[in-house]
Amino acid sequence: MDDKMINFKIDGIDVSAKKGESIIEAARRTGAYIPTMCYLPKTTPNASCRMCSVQVKGQDGFVLSCNTPPLEGIEVITDSDVLYKERQNIMKMYNVNHPLQCGVCDKSGECDLQNKTLDFGVADQTFAVRDQARKKKKWGVHTYDPGLCIMCEKCTAVCNEVVGSEALFIKPGGYKSEIDIRLKNCIQCGECVSVCPVGAMASTDFKYSSNAWELKKVPSSCSHCSSTCSLYYESKHVGINGSRDEGKIYRVTNTADFTSLCGAGRFGFDYENLNIQKDAVVFNIALEKFKSAKNVKFTSIITNEEAYLLQKLKEKLGFNLVNDEAKAFGAFMNSFASTANSSLYNATLADLSKSDFVVSVGSSFSSDNPMVKFAIAKAVNHRKAYVSYVHPVVDPEISNLVTQYIKNEVGSEEAALAMIADAFVEDKSSQEAFFDSLDIGYLSGESNISTEEIELLKLFSKRKTAHVLIIGEDVINHPRAKNIAMIAGLLQKSGAFKVLIIPPVTNSLGVSLICDLDNEEDGLSVGYNTQADFVLSAKGDGNLDMPALNQQEGTFVNIDKDVTPLNAAVGYRGYELNDIANALGVESENVIDYTPQLGFKNIAFDDLENSVDNSGNVKRGYKIEPKTNRKKTKISEVDDLSEYNGSVVYSCNPLNQFNIFTKDCKQIHEKTDLIGSEQFAIASKIKSGDTVTFTVDGQKFTRHFKVNRKLTGTVALNPNFDMDVKSSGYRYNQVKIEVANG
Amino acid sequence: MSKVYFSTWNGEFINNLDKPEEEWEESAYNLPATYDDHRDSKAFIGWDGVALFNADVDVIRLAMEYAAQYQVYSEACGRCAPGRWGGRILYDQLDKIARGEGAVADLDHLREISKSMQMTSKCEIGKTVPNPILDLMTHFEDTFMECINEQKPSKHYNEDASYIAKITAPCTDACPAHVDIPGYIEGVRDLKLDESLRATRQTMPLAHTCGRVCPHPCEDACRRTNLDEPIAIMELKRIGADYETDHGFGFFHPGKGKKKASVGKKVAVIGAGPAGLTTAYYLALDGIDVDVYEELPVLGGEVTVGVPEYRMPWDKYREDIEAVKDLGVNFILNHRVTADEMREFESSYDATMIASGTRISKAVRCDNEREEVKGYWGAIDFLDWVNLYEKFDIKTPKAVQEQQMLPADYVDLTGKTVACVGGGFTSMDVVRCSIRAGAKRVIMIYRRDEKTIIRNTTYEEYHEAVEEGVEFIFHSAVNTMNDEEDVLKSLLIDKFELVPDPNGGRAQLVKIEGASETIEVDYLIPAVSQSADLDFIPQEWELEMTSWATLKTNGKDYMTSRKGIFASGDCEYGPMTIVNAVGQAKRGASVISRYVQNGGEVTLTDDEIMEDHLRKMKVYDKKEKVTGWLAGVPRAHSEVLDVDIRKYNNEEVNFGFTQEQSISEAERCMRCYYIAMVAN
Repeated sequence: MDDKMINFKIDGIDVSAKKGESIIEAARRTGAYIPTMCYLPKTTPNASCRMCSVQVKGQDGFVLSCNTPPLEGIEVITDSDVLYKERQNIMKMYNVNHPLQCGVCDKSGECDLQNKTLDFGVADQTFAVRDQARKKKKWGVHTYDPGLCIMCEKCTAVCNEVVGSEALFIKPGGYKSEIDIRLKNCIQCGECVSVCPVGAMASTDFKYSSNAWELKKVPSSCSHCSSTCSLYYESKHVGINGSRDEGKIYRVTNTADFTSLCGAGRFGFDYENLNIQKDAVVFNIALEKFKSAKNVKFTSIITNEEAYLLQKLKEKLGFNLVNDEAKAFGAFMNSFASTANSSLYNATLADLSKSDFVVSVGSSFSSDNPMVKFAIAKAVNHRKAYVSYVHPVVDPEISNLVTQYIKNEVGSEEAALAMIADAFVEDKSSQEAFFDSLDIGYLSGESNISTEEIELLKLFSKRKTAHVLIIGEDVINHPRAKNIAMIAGLLQKSGAFKVLIIPPVTNSLGVSLICDLDNEEDGLSVGYNTQADFVLSAKGDGNLDMPALNQQEGTFVNIDKDVTPLNAAVGYRGYELNDIANALGVESENVIDYTPQLGFKNIAFDDLENSVDNSGNVKRGYKIEPKTNRKKTKISEVDDLSEYNGSVVYSCNPLNQFNIFTKDCKQIHEKTDLIGSEQFAIASKIKSGDTVTFTVDGQKFTRHFKVNRKLTGTVALNPNFDMDVKSSGYRYNQVKIEVANG
Repeated sequence: MSKVYFSTWNGEFINNLDKPEEEWEESAYNLPATYDDHRDSKAFIGWDGVALFNADVDVIRLAMEYAAQYQVYSEACGRCAPGRWGGRILYDQLDKIARGEGAVADLDHLREISKSMQMTSKCEIGKTVPNPILDLMTHFEDTFMECINEQKPSKHYNEDASYIAKITAPCTDACPAHVDIPGYIEGVRDLKLDESLRATRQTMPLAHTCGRVCPHPCEDACRRTNLDEPIAIMELKRIGADYETDHGFGFFHPGKGKKKASVGKKVAVIGAGPAGLTTAYYLALDGIDVDVYEELPVLGGEVTVGVPEYRMPWDKYREDIEAVKDLGVNFILNHRVTADEMREFESSYDATMIASGTRISKAVRCDNEREEVKGYWGAIDFLDWVNLYEKFDIKTPKAVQEQQMLPADYVDLTGKTVACVGGGFTSMDVVRCSIRAGAKRVIMIYRRDEKTIIRNTTYEEYHEAVEEGVEFIFHSAVNTMNDEEDVLKSLLIDKFELVPDPNGGRAQLVKIEGASETIEVDYLIPAVSQSADLDFIPQEWELEMTSWATLKTNGKDYMTSRKGIFASGDCEYGPMTIVNAVGQAKRGASVISRYVQNGGEVTLTDDEIMEDHLRKMKVYDKKEKVTGWLAGVPRAHSEVLDVDIRKYNNEEVNFGFTQEQSISEAERCMRCYYIAMVAN
């Protein structure tokens, strides 16, 4: 009954709609034009502008097409004299007292108010009202000018429903209505800026810096985390001489109607390598180093094509190709595949946003991968998803999204997943030995997850039909990662959940699929964006300069298992890795020649699609198909849990910081502070403001310590975005913290 | 009916200009010509027109002040373009004319903007505010033109004048607790569920409860009915409450979100049912210390011990009660107040609110009706023991077990036949609990017909009962109880028919001779209304009573005939609904709050006076033709638990809406806010 299509007419043309679609959604699908100002497809309709009013034959008055579903047989009229007149009046009203500052307003040229005023021929003002004092506000990355605001509510809707922060809100007051903010909830993502149809909510940095039409839009993929969100770098030449003649990125935009960006993607764009000299001497030294290297080390902040190059170079020159983080991820995926019987996890971010039952184990997703948080916000708002967050550290950022917080002991992720598997896997026959070996009472005691909590979880899963399990970075480097991965694989195979594994770094998944990685051995090492005896660096602080990712073409494999394209937004005249490869005998004219050879699909880089249609359907790159894996691996018994007493630090970044590239971006301000609760401070005998030192995996840290009153417990958050090599040990570590002297 | 000088209300056109007062044609509507005991109104202006009560009204200023109200009330909100700017333009233009600087073009602008607002506004405030303004501009055009031509201010522009406005809506008006329904539905639509709950809690603290068990008179006054089907208003109420409970947030109290600092006053509340809880909630928010005395071992009154678990789960009602406790209200359980204590309360408390309900089951009035007969069980007592066990594991006492022949220490009716006499909500609870208690056969004996029983309860309640296997015998009544040695064996049932009155009056129920039948039963449970248990009230107070033996008040300030003693809920009104108790208690609490702080004066706020006027006028117009919305969008229906599962247990029957259903149902709401204003 639910699948029955609703047949009706728009302007005399037959149209079909699905249950749950509104008239305007059906119209957009078929290309019928209905003007809107406040309609944002990715949120519920705001119904504020009234422009989308249409007429229905046989009914008096207007019908609002954004929030009304069509009925069988109705005949909708999208334009008529009376509709035009009323829409024109609405535009006249929007223009009342709107400051005539198109000449200096940033939005000029891409302003919906300009466009519709022109469309509806509003040439003069017949209404006027007494003006109101409206103060401009600066809220960090965004500045709000209420004088320009048309109160379309797109910003509050996106902040509430998509971002899930509930920072922006409407301050009602009739004509004096404004938008206001709870600044402590704002995560500085700038979604509000991207959806504002006028110049009211503007980027503080971009204001007064350029006209919109002078910018060149370069479509690319964000390089900061494994969501690799689609974005546009908007750049312009700055002069004809000097270091900036390769262009400068002025801002980042996205197709705000349908896609989203976090603060790192939107404001972390100025990380290009400005050193543009070609130093032939150093280049030749680099070639020698490669030829004699024992190890070549690199990070997963790299394109598929360059990873492929390194693999080819390894095959030719025989060095160890080292990327511990991606190697651990690859091993995790292999173990997962052995019980999932599929080489890849089967959930995507879209599945997550449509889910009604989410369990997250071992992930601090609000900072690890913001698009995961956004997808959960959508699931909670649009589907009232039940969200169970299994994690030792409470995250105050997501308290309004989480329905059940299960605080497990540090280190007990294997027990947690075993208990979840025990509750949710119906057919236990394929892993009988494993399930028989489970001593739930013991696991519960050691992990501190009560059986009641699991029962409650199971109770609330009844009547929920779209379960998603999120597996986070905490378990990928867990001492028991292998077994944990197998339990997760079983959960996917059993159908109890669709599984989403969050790749820890931008292209961990791509690298793990393309490269055959080794362990480091003693001897000469060459590093690509990482510490080594000889360093190639896109930050410009190594031996040989390399282009940064906003200066490269190539592809990533992202969390959705999509191969997504990058394009260069800023030119680069120095050497790139392909030059080294060519000189060493691995030849191709352009690095993107390797795109069809990566081992996925034989599609050339220039043939990769990158578009969104009128209804929000994304065509971007292509999806990697999973391979069946016919192993019949047995899951081992759950091991004894080690204890983590005393001061424990958790490797976790603040919002919007991901790596050495975001670190120096002008608009991203989060610092490298060690952040802990009051309890942590007392237990570790330190206080807020102290400079402290501690050692993790042999690496000494000196951090400024700050207390966050919203945190509880004895685990502190230690950022790692200033480190070029992420530790491949478990994210939690017991440490001895000392106050630094002097 | 009211005397008017001029009125365009609801399509009337009464023009008594130039007529002497004795010849004035009266309006058919209950317009508030008298404001309160010591003030008359000069005019009343609202969404459906304007009425003037005397000739001295400054019509231009009236129109301007009405437009100003649209600006003053933030609820006028400004969330749509035509409303936000249109409203401002209306005000500015009218003020321009009123202060003597108007032009003829201003009248054209007003008409044009009015039309746009009427056609495109988001809600009814935007659509209706222009209506009376246009009426005044049309019928008093001369007055407007005079001010424009002579560039002079309007008649009383520069004088002090009083204009009292009130925001209302047809649903809000019909709700006994005047809940801000469009407000909380908007919270659901905006997905700001905390705001939805706060909107409800302005006048109703029990959102979980009234989101589940209410006959929803609001839905009977929902304007959407004029177009297709009413909004599922009740279903949408619990969503905000579920959000608060599921996420473990603190409680979303209305306004500033917490109680005021203590003002050093104390009030005693007798009874912790919905009326008592509501009184306590609003008094506590105002900083008044409250002690609630409850005779049962549990809180919540009849909603706890009367309404069954499958309709109103205890763990949800408990959340509502926790919200009241969160404000620091003090509850004393197992304490039946005595007459001596009542006398003492007069000095130890600043006021007392009696909210003791109606807990004495009335008799069926058949032959041989005797309490000693085993199997004769008053509905209230029956439900008490069913619910105390199901919800709290409180065992049925030995005395009751013996009297009612129970095989165990809880209400187990396996294999028994139960007959209930009634037709209201209590009787439905009785029969459906009997099914769940394992009865072999359950019969409802009702004097009237199916249509009436649905009207007195709800469609859902009746049909779910039928599905569960309850037999309804309509047009019947119990004639005699047949016992053998004081054990009930059978009932003699008389049958009736509706005989129409040959003179066109009301049809009468007449017994059909020879149609009576005997039915074997083990239990007769009368659920034919209850009376109030008021033994604890000191006799010498001689409190005035109603003809149905409840405490009498004027229905506005809820004070009994004795100063400082107030009453609300069933013990005042008679057995009625939860929402009625809440509404009365809210008003009572408001009056008490002022009473204890202003030295003993009983007053109503302007808001409350207007509320009562509007209730008398009745805001909902079932004949109104509604436009501007697509007719025929169906109402969402929540899923209910399958009958084969729910008959055997107390699992909640109604699953409530899914998120998609909530959003699509909330989108159907037409947000029918109206502004009414009195000039006096």
